Amino acid sequence: MDQKLKDIVIGHSDDIVKMWLEEVNKKKSSDYTATISDELFESTNREFVNVIFTSIEKSGLTNDLNDFSERLINLGWPLSYLTDGMQVFRRVITEYILKQSEQIDSDYFAEVLRKVDGWVDPVINQLVNEYSGSWEHIVSLQRVALQELSAPLIPVMDNITIMPLIGTIDTERAKLIMENLLDGVIKHNAEVVLIDITGVPVVDTMVAHHIIQAAEAVRLIGSRCILVGIRPEIAQTIVNLGIDLGKFPTKSSLRKGFKSALELTNRTIEDVQSKEQDIENLIDSLNRE
Amino acid sequence: MDFQSCVNIKKEWDIVGARQLGRDIARKIGFGTVDQARIATAISELARNIYLYAGTGKICFEAIEDMNHKGLRIVAMDDGPGIKELSQVMEDGFSTSGGLGAGLPGVKRLMDDFDIQSEDGKGTEIKAVKWLR
Amino acid sequence: MRIPILKLHNYLLISIQIDLDDQTAIQFQEDLLSKIHESGATGVVIDLTSVDIIDSFIAKVLGDVVTMSDLMGAKVVLTGIQPAVAMTLIDLGIHMQDVPTALDLEQGLIKLRQELEE
Repeated sequence: MDQKLKDIVIGHSDDIVKMWLEEVNKKKSSDYTATISDELFESTNREFVNVIFTSIEKSGLTNDLNDFSERLINLGWPLSYLTDGMQVFRRVITEYILKQSEQIDSDYFAEVLRKVDGWVDPVINQLVNEYSGSWEHIVSLQRVALQELSAPLIPVMDNITIMPLIGTIDTERAKLIMENLLDGVIKHNAEVVLIDITGVPVVDTMVAHHIIQAAEAVRLIGSRCILVGIRPEIAQTIVNLGIDLGKFPTKSSLRKGFKSALELTNRTIEDVQSKEQDIENLIDSLNRE
Repeated sequence: MDFQSCVNIKKEWDIVGARQLGRDIARKIGFGTVDQARIATAISELARNIYLYAGTGKICFEAIEDMNHKGLRIVAMDDGPGIKELSQVMEDGFSTSGGLGAGLPGVKRLMDDFDIQSEDGKGTEIKAVKWLR
Repeated sequence: MRIPILKLHNYLLISIQIDLDDQTAIQFQEDLLSKIHESGATGVVIDLTSVDIIDSFIAKVLGDVVTMSDLMGAKVVLTGIQPAVAMTLIDLGIHMQDVPTALDLEQGLIKLRQELEE
């Protein structure tokens, strides 16, 4: 029985391939693959169907299948192309076998279905595993990348350090940020830390809570925090949500924050030569001529 | 790593002993310094509760593992008077001893999972778990 | 176990270098207050660089010591609280809002001098 069915399929592979290609081509116009050129689509289909047949012939998974799926993953073909293709193949092959058989009773029918599933399912599983494996890999890489750009600490002057926050802050990131912040304060011996939230898109109660906690921890280790980069819409949400930021100083821009950081460490910015002086000098020199 | 160890809490000094052992175990499991401090502090709070309210009891540590991460489970047990106002003790600032009232809710915040079983007159059992990030 | 208290001009310097148990903490509270009384010190720096656990009890004792010393006319600054300890305190919900802090002993002394001059 097993061999007989296999013979039918292998023996008439040309017909089956033709039917399969027709079916799959019907899907192309309306579907995901619409942007892919006809030639590429054709050749990929041919290769796909060859890979399927090899795996049936050898009754098992092959390296060809791995190579093929790997290449499609790299080219960015959607997984649905492969699963749709396999489902069409299942339908075509079942139809074809049933057409070729003389006597069809329910036992035979069930046997055919079981057999076909036995060919098709391992291939689908393999393809899905390859794809999801590659997705998981990408996700974990991105998580690491995100953590790396998480929270740099920039010592701009003796005793003054800036921490720009960028992107969405969740609980896990908030903890990491707090650890970086406190370690950095100790390392750079920072008396004042400016936390810049210009790059934080949304400040909700949770984010505000984390920022407040970080500021309080900074105070406990003996330094001071100034929150800078509060945009108008963020000021509005903070007040509307009833978040109390009254306990530590806030400034709208990094520049203003830096100025008050200088004041806190008993320093000021002084121009080496004022503009008016320059102009006066210029007029003087003109008068002399 | 599969082991369990317990510390009996009878004297005040046992509080320090318990948190030192807990910190050691946390370090062996692979927790960073910050989480070590969190775990040790949680143990200190739990041990003090036993010492203050039940007199005697014990704290057990267990390295645990689920599908994708490792963790440390702390179980604090005593046969003391139990806690009558279970919902009240979990509120910040509630204290019967003149402390800061940060003990149990604090432990809950320091750890990841927290479960408390207590019956009036039958003692208290608290289970708290910290997962390795 | 007793924690040594050093005197330097008008200041008292304390560096806590052991794992504090409750009894030691309370003993320290008493020792410090009587030392302030004896010496008439106006400033105190308590350095916590080597302390790796502060639980709610120790936090309360430290907070109380600050308030009590204040009542006796001596300003207290806590210095060198470790990042891990600070984070744990915040998680516990202990903010020690009225307690002055500084990064290290040196800055603690500078802070004391500034506050006492004002």
